[in-house]
This record gives sequence, C-alpha cells and structure tokens, in this order.
Amino acid sequence: MYHIDGTDYLKQKYYTKTKSICPECMDKLDAEIVEENGEIWMKKTCPEHGFFKDKISSDPRYYKWTHYGTDTWSFEKDGETNPADIKGKDPRGCPYNCGLCEEHISTCQLALIDLTNRCNMNCNFCYANVRKAGYLVEPSLEDIDRIMKHFRSKPIPPVAIMFTGGEPTVRKDFPEICAMAKKHGFKEVIVATNGYGFQKKNGGLEWTKRAYEAGLDTLYFQFDGINNPTWEKTRGIKNLMAYKERVIKNCREVGLTSVVLVQTVVKGITDIEIGNVIQFAIDNIDVVRGITYQPVSLCGRITAEEIQELRITNADVIKEVERQTGGKIGLDNSWYPLSTIVEFGRIVAYLAGVEPIEFTCHPDCGFATYLVVDPKTNEMVPIMDYFDPIKIVEFSNKFWNKIKHKEKKQIKFFENFIGDFGKTLDKGVNWVDKQQLKARFLTGMLQYTRKPGKLMEMFSRMLLNGRWESVSAFTHGTLLISSMHFQDAYNLDVERCKRCIVHFGVALPDGTIFESPFCTMNTLHRPVVEKMIAKQYTEKIRNEFDTTLGQRADEIVQEVAYNGGTKKKEE
Amino acid sequence: MSEEVIINKDGLKVRKLVDLKPTTAKEYQEAMLHRVKKFSKRKDSPFNDFIENTVVQGLKAILDTKVTIDKILGSNKDKLYSTIEKILLTGL
Repeated sequence: MYHIDGTDYLKQKYYTKTKSICPECMDKLDAEIVEENGEIWMKKTCPEHGFFKDKISSDPRYYKWTHYGTDTWSFEKDGETNPADIKGKDPRGCPYNCGLCEEHISTCQLALIDLTNRCNMNCNFCYANVRKAGYLVEPSLEDIDRIMKHFRSKPIPPVAIMFTGGEPTVRKDFPEICAMAKKHGFKEVIVATNGYGFQKKNGGLEWTKRAYEAGLDTLYFQFDGINNPTWEKTRGIKNLMAYKERVIKNCREVGLTSVVLVQTVVKGITDIEIGNVIQFAIDNIDVVRGITYQPVSLCGRITAEEIQELRITNADVIKEVERQTGGKIGLDNSWYPLSTIVEFGRIVAYLAGVEPIEFTCHPDCGFATYLVVDPKTNEMVPIMDYFDPIKIVEFSNKFWNKIKHKEKKQIKFFENFIGDFGKTLDKGVNWVDKQQLKARFLTGMLQYTRKPGKLMEMFSRMLLNGRWESVSAFTHGTLLISSMHFQDAYNLDVERCKRCIVHFGVALPDGTIFESPFCTMNTLHRPVVEKMIAKQYTEKIRNEFDTTLGQRADEIVQEVAYNGGTKKKEE
Repeated sequence: MSEEVIINKDGLKVRKLVDLKPTTAKEYQEAMLHRVKKFSKRKDSPFNDFIENTVVQGLKAILDTKVTIDKILGSNKDKLYSTIEKILLTGL
C-alpha cells in the first residue's frame, strides 16, 4: 500500500542529519538519524557530556514511508506562517529563541494555556505540579484574556484551544474561562483533565452542565486503563476507575458527547491496556469520540540502558494496537501521519471560504486513524474500508497543486476592462469558478469512496461547506485513534520543533505573551518562564488536596463526619 | 459483546479483542444524528440549508449508483477512474 513500494527507497538504509540538544547541558548538537539493526536511531555527541543514542522508530519501512517523498506525495509540508513575535537573540537559533521566532515554519493550530499547576493528584512522572515546583503558577482572568487575544489576533488564528495544568478544573472560574474562549472565537474548547471537576460526588453533575453550557466542547481525558492496579501504579490512587466512570456518566447525562481518552503509554505498565482502552471507548461510543496514545516522555538524568528500557515510540504503540486488536487496526493499512491531509484541508477551506486547519507538523509528531461501524456487519473497521485513502490523498495533492494559485490571486477579468464597476461582475465570476471547482473535487472524492451511508452524507457536507459543525458531526460518527509522541531532551529534533502546531501561551509580567511550541516549552523554557510568573506557595495550597485519594481535603473531612467518624479511605 | 477476557499473572483483566464489535451500529449513528440535531437548532446551521440538503441527497443517490456500477465494472473501474481524474484536472 505504500507509495514508495517498489522504489529503491526501501532498499536504502535511512540516513539524515539534523540538530538536537545535549540532555545534560541542553546545548545544541549535531545529530544523525540512522537505520541500524532494523530500527531508526538518533545519535549525537556532546563535547563535554559524551555520546547519546535514542530510538526514534522500531519500524524502518514505516519510517521511510513517512519521510521519503515522490512527485505527488510528501509528508513534510511547508506550513503557512504567521509573522514572528520576536527577533531571535540567541545565536544558536532554534530551539532557544522561543517567543515565537522567525525560524518557525508552521502556524499554531491548537493553543494551550496552563490554567494552574495545582492538582488533586501527584503523579510521579508529571512535571507540572505545584508540590514539585514549590511555587504557584495560576494566570488571572485578565492574563488568560490577553493570551486568547494574542492567539486569535494572528493572521492565521488557531481554531482550537486546550486548557492544561496541573488540573485545570480545580479552578472555580473554569466555566467562565470556557465562555471567554468562545467569545474570542475559538471553535473548539478542550480541557486536558483527570476528570476532577466532572466527577465530584456532590455537585459534579451540575458542574459538568455549567462547563458544557459555558462552551466546553471536549474533554481530553486522562485514561490509563480499566484496571485499578494500573491506576495505582501510574497515579498512586486506589480504585480510581469509579472516579473515571463518574466522569463518563456525568458527561453522558448533560449531553457532553465529546470525550477523548488519553492514555500515557509506559512500557510494562500501561501498554498492556491499549486494547482495553479501545474496547472501553467502543462500549461508551455515545460520548467517547477518540483515543490518544501518548508514549511517555523521559525527564531527568537516566542511563543509556534505562532509556532503552523505557523508550516506547509511535511505531511501538501502533504495533501494539495491531497486536491487541487481532490485526484489525494494522500498521500497514490504517495509520497515517497527521500531515497527510494538509492539501485536502486547504482545498476544503479555500472552496468553502473558511479558516484553514493546517496540520503541517513534522511526520514524526503524530499518527492517526479513524474507526467506523460498518452498518452491515456491525463491526468496527478502519475508515479505509470506506475510502481508498491513497487515491484520495493523491488526487487532493494534484488538485491543490493545480488550484493553489487561485487562493492568492482572484480572477480579475471584467475589472481589467471596465475598472471598478467590473469588480462586482468579477465577484460573480469567482463564485462560479469556485462552484465548478467544488463539483470537480466532489466528483474526484466520490469516485474513490467505497460505501454509502449516513457517514458519507456527513463527509459530503464537510466538503461542501467546510464548517466546523459538519466536521464535528462527521467525527461523531467515528472513533479517532491517534498516537502523539512528545519529545524530550534525549530525542529532540529541531526540525520537529520548527514545525510544531501545538503552542503554549504565557502572559509575562511585562505585558507581552510568550508563545512556545509544546516540546521546547517542556524541555527547555518551562523552569525559566514559570519563575517569571510564579506566585507564593502557601500552606493552604499545600494542604488543599489529599493526593492519595484525589479529593479536596475539606470535602474528605465532611465525608468522614457524615460517615460517623469512620475515615473512608477507599470507595 | 464479542470479546475474550483473560486474567493475567498480575491479576489484571485483559480483553482480547477479537471482532471489535460495538453493541450496535445504531448507537454510533445516533451519536452523529444527535450532533446534527443540536446544530440544527442554530439559525445559521448548514443542516437547515435547503440547497445544501438537496445537494447532499443528490450526492447520496450518485454514490449509491456509483457503488453498484463499481461492482459491475470490476477491475476495469481503475482505468475509468484514471480517465475521469485526467478530465477533472484538465484546464485548472
């Protein structure tokens, strides 16, 4: 199925040069990405701290497919760029000049705001936690408003925003913040959450309703598995499944039908639960829209042996999905890099006259597939059963190459002859031109569509109007499965940083906004930036939550009193 | 539900997914249609656009016919598609 099948690419050993950083001193280094013993590795040497080697992919064939281009295929897309926010001062360049600098070659598609670093849990691998940091980071409503304004005022603004933390829902003003995001024009408002606000036994349902009605669209919901012992290993809390199920139940009751289960994949701990999470999603398909696997990022000083022991790549996750679904969702026939649909998205946006969604991230950043139910067999199948993906992508790429000049230069036929009066006539000509392009594109898509049905109706609506509502209705008939491998200092590739489409925004005390790609923020900038905005860590904050239960300490006291003084440690 | 549940040596429940079968495909479709219903309440919703609804119904009919024709054409359909593609890209 690969577009490079039958070419010499597959016979060649993969090799490329890039830039990375030293995991010890964080200085910039030359790096090589090489194929060795049936795997893809990054190798780099720091003059001071020595040699480092880390696995990038466990499947060279798949890796080469995503990195070699042909006339009609390339996963490395040139992104549209917004003007730089700052002029980089560090002579070493990317990734030290975040702010955002002129070296960045993609636009932000998902804006992130850390609402707080307070959290009701204390996960051992989490970096964003008030207890570990020793200071509080919590932007005011005015700061949040400034950050949203910053993102939405760009020539190509992001359509989606995600609130992160800490646990964003520990903030009482969370619904107000969701409403603020809608007011700023974000189409999709998402929260990355362990479910705290939504699961509360007293008032959780009302709280979920308030957040939903205020504008919250999607929960990016921490979900490591279905077994309590797994949760205990990852989050240090016993019997957490009941907590997680309350979240799903409350979302269902209020009609918040867009939950994405997010599994942090840790070798030997949560990887065994990959298939369980898929089945849980299918069982709760009325509210669960997708699953995102996140191979764990490695922080701190660890040995080369430990890296090899812990490292799990996107390819490993994809192979595990294949294994745990009995080959139903296979590496060879289901998964595509996110950048696959760039041209397709540009055509839809241009023809419908809507804001484009530009997944011009690096091909290593994320992979995805859609599952749909075949109404005839009642079985979940990859969406590729409905389309011929290779043909659709090829046709879209060719079509966009032919029409992209029209986006920049409108037809000016009558204006050239009769001046300003002709502008109105040219508007009509341009409208007719778009309709004939739409007809051609739709015909092209139709011929590579294999099955009819309601889902295809939604797909044709998406092509016709490009509206967010159509995209949303389409995704409600599918289950999106993706794998996102965020970088750490061991595998950081500067080319990936430059193409990042997920950006943090931080309001600095001097009135400016610091915008940074996700991986550079977490690998390099977070400690420095957070110290600039840190607030005092008080005794009240320290004792706010019992992190062994994931609940507010004062609510536990109330419950103990209610239970006649019997301390209820487990549910 | 078509699944086999295995308890591993650590006592963890591991579902061996055999068929990836949901309870019913109806639930899926309902989730999608529920979304459409929600959006249809808005004044400017594309789901209330008469022209678009007509076009979508037309496309649905074309797709149904196309799937039938595909079956009749068999392997010859690739040649036909390649020709149609060339026509669609001509003159752009």
